[in-house]
Amino acid sequence: MSITFEKVEHVYSEGTPFSYLALKGVDLSIIKGSMTAIIGHTGSGKSTLIQHLNALLLPTSGKVTIDEYVITKDEKPQTLKPLRKKTGLVFQFPEYQLFEESIEKDIIFGPINFGIPEEVAKQKAAEALEAVGLDKKYLEKSPFDLSGGQKRRVAIAGILVMEPEILVLDEPTAGLDPQGAKEMMELFKKLHEKGTTILLVTHDMNQVLTYCDHAIVMSDGQVVKNGTVQEIFADPEYLSKLSIELPMITSFIYRLNQNGFHLDPSMTTIDQLIEAIGGELK
Amino acid sequence: MKNMTLGRYLPYDSVMHRMDPRAKIMGLLLVLISVFFDAGFSGYFLIALFCYIALKLSKISLSYLIKSIKPMLFMMCFLAIINIFVMRTGEVLFMIGSFAIYTKAITQTAYIVIRLILIVAMTTVVTATTKPLDLTLGIEHLLSPFKRIGFPAHEVAMMISIALRFIPTLLEETERIMKAQASRGVDFKEGKLMEKISAIISLIVPLFISAFSRAEELANAMEARCYHPDAKRTRYKQLHWKIHDTLLIGSCLVLMVSLIAMSVIGTW
Repeated sequence: MSITFEKVEHVYSEGTPFSYLALKGVDLSIIKGSMTAIIGHTGSGKSTLIQHLNALLLPTSGKVTIDEYVITKDEKPQTLKPLRKKTGLVFQFPEYQLFEESIEKDIIFGPINFGIPEEVAKQKAAEALEAVGLDKKYLEKSPFDLSGGQKRRVAIAGILVMEPEILVLDEPTAGLDPQGAKEMMELFKKLHEKGTTILLVTHDMNQVLTYCDHAIVMSDGQVVKNGTVQEIFADPEYLSKLSIELPMITSFIYRLNQNGFHLDPSMTTIDQLIEAIGGELK
Repeated sequence: MKNMTLGRYLPYDSVMHRMDPRAKIMGLLLVLISVFFDAGFSGYFLIALFCYIALKLSKISLSYLIKSIKPMLFMMCFLAIINIFVMRTGEVLFMIGSFAIYTKAITQTAYIVIRLILIVAMTTVVTATTKPLDLTLGIEHLLSPFKRIGFPAHEVAMMISIALRFIPTLLEETERIMKAQASRGVDFKEGKLMEKISAIISLIVPLFISAFSRAEELANAMEARCYHPDAKRTRYKQLHWKIHDTLLIGSCLVLMVSLIAMSVIGTW
């Protein structure tokens, strides 16, 4: 049981002067139950890659396998509809997808489309709303009366309510205040601990270090590195070539080590770091 | 959505691309006028030939043009069918049930379809070879004589250029929202009527909200930079009328005059 990409290519606007090769033969396997970060520059193909995971985009050539589903260019969209329930995709700025008159209606929109009875969906909607940190009293309110951050939470609840086995998040914390971003990431971490596979597209390397266990580095339509977070950050020269910054903690450790310290660069928390520095200074 | 061809600019380098937008707009107007003169099939052949030459000069492939005519096909068929049944001039050709089909109806319908195709073809050549901004600049120049009688040429041009500017943005937005809703199980292609209506609502409501908020942001941004339509402004891009522009207008004029002549002779 896993997610694999085999020689996946994707061409946008094929056959027109605007044709653009966004994925250039991606070979990839993602471990189920992991929390994997997808990092890389704007335009490196991250968004194209993740849209293959619930067949919003079909590969121009090659194939994507997700458990029993095989996605190739000839696949009919109808047969892939159940896949959309299995893989929940949260787009960037998901607050733009809200449209119903009440938050409850908006959250149950997804489950109802997948044929879940309304009563059950309403029950789950209340749970999903609480999971994203909003009170049940919001259920009857209009989503358009909320603040930006609250709208984001409602939109994410609209995906979580479908209880996807794989949750794909495209920069879920972009534009949120630090506290809101932290709460959001804690929520995803909790879901991950319950067994959901999480794929996170992000530009914040501190999030990668703190929350993820695996990372995929993309550049120019290709996967250039795939490994554990520690493996990825163990090669700072390579990352700087791709203009990817190190997490603050890791970068601090490297700078200390350049000045005579002998710290382990794979530490992930400030507490660990303080303890290690204390140990060296004794 | 990305396959939309109608009215899209194609970044090639050709004689047509280098023409002055004013010349292209005026030329298009002249050809459009000629299309509406009834000069029989030989007249349409002449315009089609003219179209073909313009197409060759603009390096646009014939298959691209056919692709941009395709979305009109349904409307054309619809028009054609109504016309064939409704027009009652000429002689009765044959009967379908109790409906009589007249000879004139057939030729008139053919004319209408040919006219539509020619109009789309010529307009495609102009929009595909002229950047939207150049097009509005051309329109503004052409309308500026009417400023004297109080016509807001600059405002109109500004509105057109903003509208054109936001077409790709809104298309992108549409695609994004469609994908987001598809992730929530919406099927935009299949489904019963009620399901389709709810699918379209889930697309239109967010689209309107984002369009309005974009409009407001744009208005604020323009206001913040003290935009005033009556302010005297200079242009980065200057239009230069060259000899080939005169030639273009000249040939369009010749085409129009000959079409008028043909139609006058034809009715005699």
